[in-house]
Amino acid sequence: MEAWRLPVSSSIRGKLISAGYTSLSSISSVSSSDLARDVNITEEEAFEIMKLANQASGSNSCNGSRSLINGAKNAWDMLHEEDSLPRITTSCSDLDNILGGGISCRDVTEIGGVPGIGKTQIGIQLSVNVQIPREFGGLGGKAIYIDTEGSFMVERALQIAEACVEDMKEYTGYMHKHFKANQVEMKPKDILENIIYFRVCSYTEQIALVNHLDKFISENKDVKVVIIDSITFHFRQDFDDLAQRTRVLSEMALKFMKLAKKFSLAVVLLNQVTTKYTQGTFQLALALGDSWSHSCTNRVILYWNGDERYAYIDKSPSLPSASASYTVTSRGLRNSSSSSKRVKMM
Amino acid sequence: MKPENLLLRSPTSRKLTTGCEILDECLRGGFPCNSMTEIVAESGCGKTQLCLQLSLCAQLPISLGGLDGSSLYLHSEFPFPFRRLHQLSRSFHQSNPSIYANHNDNPCDHVFVQNVHSVDHLFDIMPRIDSFVRNSKKRFPLKLIVLDSIAALFRSEFDNTPSDLKKRSSLFFKVSGKLKQLANKFDLAVVITNQVTDFVESSDGLSGLRIGNLRYLCSSGRRVVPALGLAWANCVNSRFFISRSDKIVCKEKTENDESGPSSVSRRAQRRLDIVFSPYLPGASCEFMITREGICAVQA
Repeated sequence: MEAWRLPVSSSIRGKLISAGYTSLSSISSVSSSDLARDVNITEEEAFEIMKLANQASGSNSCNGSRSLINGAKNAWDMLHEEDSLPRITTSCSDLDNILGGGISCRDVTEIGGVPGIGKTQIGIQLSVNVQIPREFGGLGGKAIYIDTEGSFMVERALQIAEACVEDMKEYTGYMHKHFKANQVEMKPKDILENIIYFRVCSYTEQIALVNHLDKFISENKDVKVVIIDSITFHFRQDFDDLAQRTRVLSEMALKFMKLAKKFSLAVVLLNQVTTKYTQGTFQLALALGDSWSHSCTNRVILYWNGDERYAYIDKSPSLPSASASYTVTSRGLRNSSSSSKRVKMM
Repeated sequence: MKPENLLLRSPTSRKLTTGCEILDECLRGGFPCNSMTEIVAESGCGKTQLCLQLSLCAQLPISLGGLDGSSLYLHSEFPFPFRRLHQLSRSFHQSNPSIYANHNDNPCDHVFVQNVHSVDHLFDIMPRIDSFVRNSKKRFPLKLIVLDSIAALFRSEFDNTPSDLKKRSSLFFKVSGKLKQLANKFDLAVVITNQVTDFVESSDGLSGLRIGNLRYLCSSGRRVVPALGLAWANCVNSRFFISRSDKIVCKEKTENDESGPSSVSRRAQRRLDIVFSPYLPGASCEFMITREGICAVQA
């Protein structure tokens, strides 16, 4: 399909052809900013042209040299996309550093550890931090918190929300006065309102809720993180048929991955630990078995090292294995202040 | 499926007072509702005393920190301390006459005791508990369930083989799941007591696994580990540890009484530590058990 068929003004058509964009596939395969620069037009015009080109090429089967299969992207575009993906901060900069900036959206992250290490605290901190407005570097979105164990305490969430609001107020002092004028002050009550809380009391409720999430999130598009605390509790009871449990779990895992990709949100699964008999000794491992370890993109293990809490990146397609320490304070998750801490690279 | 509106919940979840101000301060109000709290202690430390006191305090009006409700005491260890309950109830009645004045009853009428001898028995009674809570009287609806103790239920039936231990673990989650479901449905407080076992250094090092704020738990001068292991630790929301140490308090000799023996009074000091909790920082508190019940020692 030729570019001169596009319904644009003749001056723009001329510019396109003289810049070398003779076929529609070449237009659809660049970003709008590149097109604007090459053809010497504004970005809005470039965007319009690309929309038209995509519409036109959608109506016939396209055989351009760059996009062979409809819907395929090349790795360069994907890299651009990934770099521009926002991340949710954990309020602990050491932890953010080993996570590559924070919990990434579009990924399923599993966080597991012994009881009392801070899994619920991380969950609550993330559900508050996702609401940090864009002007402060956050996502300005809502959170869905699925509580299977009953560990979510409103007073703790309120405490963390208040600390977050205080920190934002302090930061406003440094901001440019142009932004300050448009600031809508967030109150802790507003933060609580934006945490969509579900309590599930059995595995059937859990499965039903996960199935319903697709529809729910399509109606609430500003949800940016889904936290499940914890994913395993209802599944460690006696299942008559272990194969059924594996099937149900892998279906659930698949649904989470689809949700993450479709709505560009982060899914955080909190898991428990159990003892596993490997190589003649008992070792600690995350619950739900070996097959479950394939269902998440990233895996973080929390553990005690002496008197400090540490987080360790156990599995990730892009992050190096590293561990960092953190503490749980009355204001939420923070860096640990010990002087001997350092980020250990494995 | 509808999400719950968090703002409708009270900003501090309802708590059951322990009957002692300083303990309450350490626990930021007391034992929370809609949550499962575990008390781990050696035998003779005061778990049953604390549980009896909680069952009575549940009848206090909400303004005084109670739940304005009755309690269900499931006991798996024999015998149930009826006499001690009556003793506590008498002093409770004396200090709170207004609650019972109009109806001419006494606090013991609102503590329901049920014996549980095995896990299967516990599952059998669950539906009865459900209907019991649902049909409970308007005046003192059921608001507290105490299970004393969970360890005794699992002690006899399971061997130390991996398959039995696995079966045992899945039963933990089943028990915990059912009790938490009850707690959520009717906004009850659930308190479970657990025992300790001596710490034995094993080759895999897993029995010394650190869980919670304390590096290790010590009671009566030796290191202990909560019974039922890591699997059960995953089932509860909060864990409190009560320990005892025998403190010797010496009375001073007077100036001209050199020859007589100095009198020594031994007082057993108890201490409550918060091992883990979703909303409490690690803290501890010391208390004593007297005839009237539990009272804390000023720091």
